[in-house]
Amino acid sequence: MKKMKTVSIVLVLGLLMTLLAACGGGNNEGSGGASPSGSAGASEGAKNSDPVTLTFVISNTEDTTAFTKVFEAYEQQTGNKVELQALPGGDYDNLIKTRFSTGDFSDLFLMQPGTKQYVKLRAEETLHEWSGESGVWDNVIDSIKQAQVENDKIYGVPYGSTGMMGVFYNKEVFKQAGVDVPKNYADLIEIAKKIKAAGFTPFYEGVKDAWPPQVFYYTGWVTQVDPAIGEEGVAKLNRNELKFTDIPELKDLFAKQKELKELDLYQKNVMAGTYDEMQNEMGDGKVAMAFMLDGIISQMEQKFGKDWVANNLGFFPFPSETDQGTAMITPPNQLMVPEKAKNRDAAIELVKFMLQPENVDLFYANKPGIPIFEGATSELYPVQEDVKAFIDAGKSQVNIQNRLTASFVDFSKTLQNFFLDGDIDKAIGEFSANYQKDGKAKLLEGF
Amino acid sequence: MERRKYPLYFSFPAVAVFLLFFIAPTLIGVYYSFTDWNINADSVTFIGFDNYAALFQEPRLGKALSNTLIFAAAVTVLQNAIGLALALVMNESIKMRNFFRMVFFMPYVIAPIVIGYVFRAIYHPEHGIVNTILNGIGLDFMAQDWLNDPKWALFSIIVTDLWRVSGFTMVIYLAGLQFIPKDLLESASIDGASYWHRLKNIVLPLIASSTTVNILLSLIGSMKVFEMVMVLTDGGPGYTTEVFYTYIRSTFSMGQMGYSTAINLVLFALVTLVGIPVLTALKKREVEM
Repeated sequence: MKKMKTVSIVLVLGLLMTLLAACGGGNNEGSGGASPSGSAGASEGAKNSDPVTLTFVISNTEDTTAFTKVFEAYEQQTGNKVELQALPGGDYDNLIKTRFSTGDFSDLFLMQPGTKQYVKLRAEETLHEWSGESGVWDNVIDSIKQAQVENDKIYGVPYGSTGMMGVFYNKEVFKQAGVDVPKNYADLIEIAKKIKAAGFTPFYEGVKDAWPPQVFYYTGWVTQVDPAIGEEGVAKLNRNELKFTDIPELKDLFAKQKELKELDLYQKNVMAGTYDEMQNEMGDGKVAMAFMLDGIISQMEQKFGKDWVANNLGFFPFPSETDQGTAMITPPNQLMVPEKAKNRDAAIELVKFMLQPENVDLFYANKPGIPIFEGATSELYPVQEDVKAFIDAGKSQVNIQNRLTASFVDFSKTLQNFFLDGDIDKAIGEFSANYQKDGKAKLLEGF
Repeated sequence: MERRKYPLYFSFPAVAVFLLFFIAPTLIGVYYSFTDWNINADSVTFIGFDNYAALFQEPRLGKALSNTLIFAAAVTVLQNAIGLALALVMNESIKMRNFFRMVFFMPYVIAPIVIGYVFRAIYHPEHGIVNTILNGIGLDFMAQDWLNDPKWALFSIIVTDLWRVSGFTMVIYLAGLQFIPKDLLESASIDGASYWHRLKNIVLPLIASSTTVNILLSLIGSMKVFEMVMVLTDGGPGYTTEVFYTYIRSTFSMGQMGYSTAINLVLFALVTLVGIPVLTALKKREVEM
C-alpha cells in the first residue's frame, strides 16, 4: 500500500512537472514571437528560428493577389507567416476604429491615404511613427511622401499606385460619333451634344449608388477651384477660416452638373444609375463618358478583358474654361502598424521588406499601376499612360479630400437631393454645414 | 385549490441577470446621452442637455421623425388588416390550407437584408418585374422609378415590409381564431347572423388579445425599422426616406457616441409614448371567454 502511495505521488509530481514545462514552453514561444530578435531575421534575410504569424487587415474591396505574392516571398525568406484578414469594405473604417477602441490591434493594416486618417485613429497615441525610420523613404516619390506628413510626422507608409479621377471614355464611341478629347469645358459640352445626336448616351451617373456623383466635384476641384483659391485657400479651409459657400468656383461646379442634367446629357433614369450598370453600358458601347475613379480600370478588365481596356478605355481630366485641365491624382493606401501590436517589430520589418525594390516590382507585376517608387517598373495601360503624361508634365494635383483633415460627410446624400431639386444654394449650404459638423465632431482646431 | 407560494429569493438570480444586462446598460446609456462622448476625444465630460438641444435643431431629425411615424402607422394598420384577412381565409376548410399557410409565413423567416436586395431588383425602373408587367399590360403610365422617386420611395419600402411581416401577423390571428368555440359561431349562424355580424360581434371581440399583441409588436417593430430602409434606399434619395435608425447609424459613423445615444433615447421615449396609450386602449377592449 505504501509502495502504491509513493508511486502515485511520483506519477502526480511527474505529470505536474510535464504540465509546467509545457506551459513554460508556450510562454517562451509567445514572447519569442514578439521579440525584436525574432523580427531582426527579416531584415537579415535569415530564417527565424522562432517564426511568428503576423495579422494583416485589409478591406475586402481590395484585390489581395499582389499582397499575397509579396507575403509569400516574405515567408520564404524569414519563416514568418502573414495571415490576411479581409473586413467588409463598406464598414471598414468603423470596424478598424472599433477594434482600436477595444484594444484589438492587428499587426499591420491597410488604410486609405492621407493625414485625415491620423485624426480618425488618434495616431499619436496608437500608431508607429515612420518619419525617422531607416529603409522606408529611400525610394518613395517626395510628393507622395509629403502628402502623408502632418506636424513633421508620418504614421502611414504609402504603398501601391497613384490613383486618379477624371473623365473615362469609350474610344470606340468617340470614333463612331466623330469626336476627339475636349480642348476645354465648352468643347466637352459640344462633344457631348454630338455624341447624343449620334445615338449614344454622353454621360452616365450612378446616382443610386450615391458615391459616384461626387467624382465630378473632386476632379473638377483641381481644375477649377484649386487655381482660384491656391494653397493658402486650402489651408484656410483646413482651419475653417474659409467656407465652401464663399468659393464661387465651387458653386459653379454645382451649376455645371445641373447644366448636364438640364441638357439631358445623362442616361435615362439618372436617379436609378449604378456603378455596375455604368460599366456594362460603357463596355457595351452605349455610354460614352463617365466622371469616375481608376477603380473602373480593374472592373472593366474583369468584365471585358485586358484587350478591351487596352484598346477602348481612354482618360482625360476635367477640362477648364481655357485648357484641358489638371489630372486629379490620389496617393495610394497607407500601411500602418499599431504601437501595441503583438508583433510590432516584426510588422515594421515586414513593411521594410515590402519596400525593397525587388518586392515593389513583384507587387506591380501583380497589380500594375502608376508607381510611387523611384526606379520601380510597372506595365501600364494606355489609359494610365495618359495620366502619367499629365503627372510628368506637372499638370496633376492631389485630391482635395486627401489634403483636408475634416471630411465631406454625407456629400453623396446632398448630391442625390441636388439631382432631385436642382437647388444650388441649398446643396452648397448643406455641403458646407456637414463639413463643419465633421470638423467639430473630430474636435479639430478652428471648428 | 391552495396556491403554492415560493420564497422570494428564488427570483434573485433572474433579477440579478436582468439588472446586470438590461437595466444597468440602459442607465449607463442615459448617463452617456448627457456627455460629449466622442471617439476623437480623450475624455468624457458631462454636458447636460447639449446633445438634446443640438438634436432638436437638426433638420434631418424632423424628416426622420415624420418618416418613422408614417411608416409605423401605415405598416401597423395594413399589416394587421392583411394579416387578419389572411388568417380568416386560412381558418376556413380550403384545399392545401397548410401549404398556403406556409407560403404566407415564409417571407418572415427570410432575412430583411435578403428581401431588400431582391426587391431592389423587382423595383428597378427599366429591368424590374413591376414595371415590366405594367408596360406589358399597357399600363405604362403607372410605371415609376419606385425607389428613387421621393414620391414613391417610402411607399415602396412599406409595401416590401408588409409582404415580409403580414404572414407573422396571420399566424398570431390564426392562433386566436382557433380558440373560438365552433358551436358559438354555428349557433349564431343558425340564429341568422350574417358573416359580417359574426365577425363583428363574435370573432373580433374574442380575438382581441391577438389584436393587442399584433398591434403592439408591429408598432414597436416598425418604429425601429432599419434594415429594409438601409438596403432599399439607405434613407435616400437624399434624406427623403430617412428614419430614426438610419440617422443614428450616420451619427455613430462620425464617432459621436454621446449624441447617438441621445437619439436612441429619444426614440425609446417616442416608442414608450406611443406604445403605452395604445396598449392601455387595446387592453380595455379585451374580453374574457
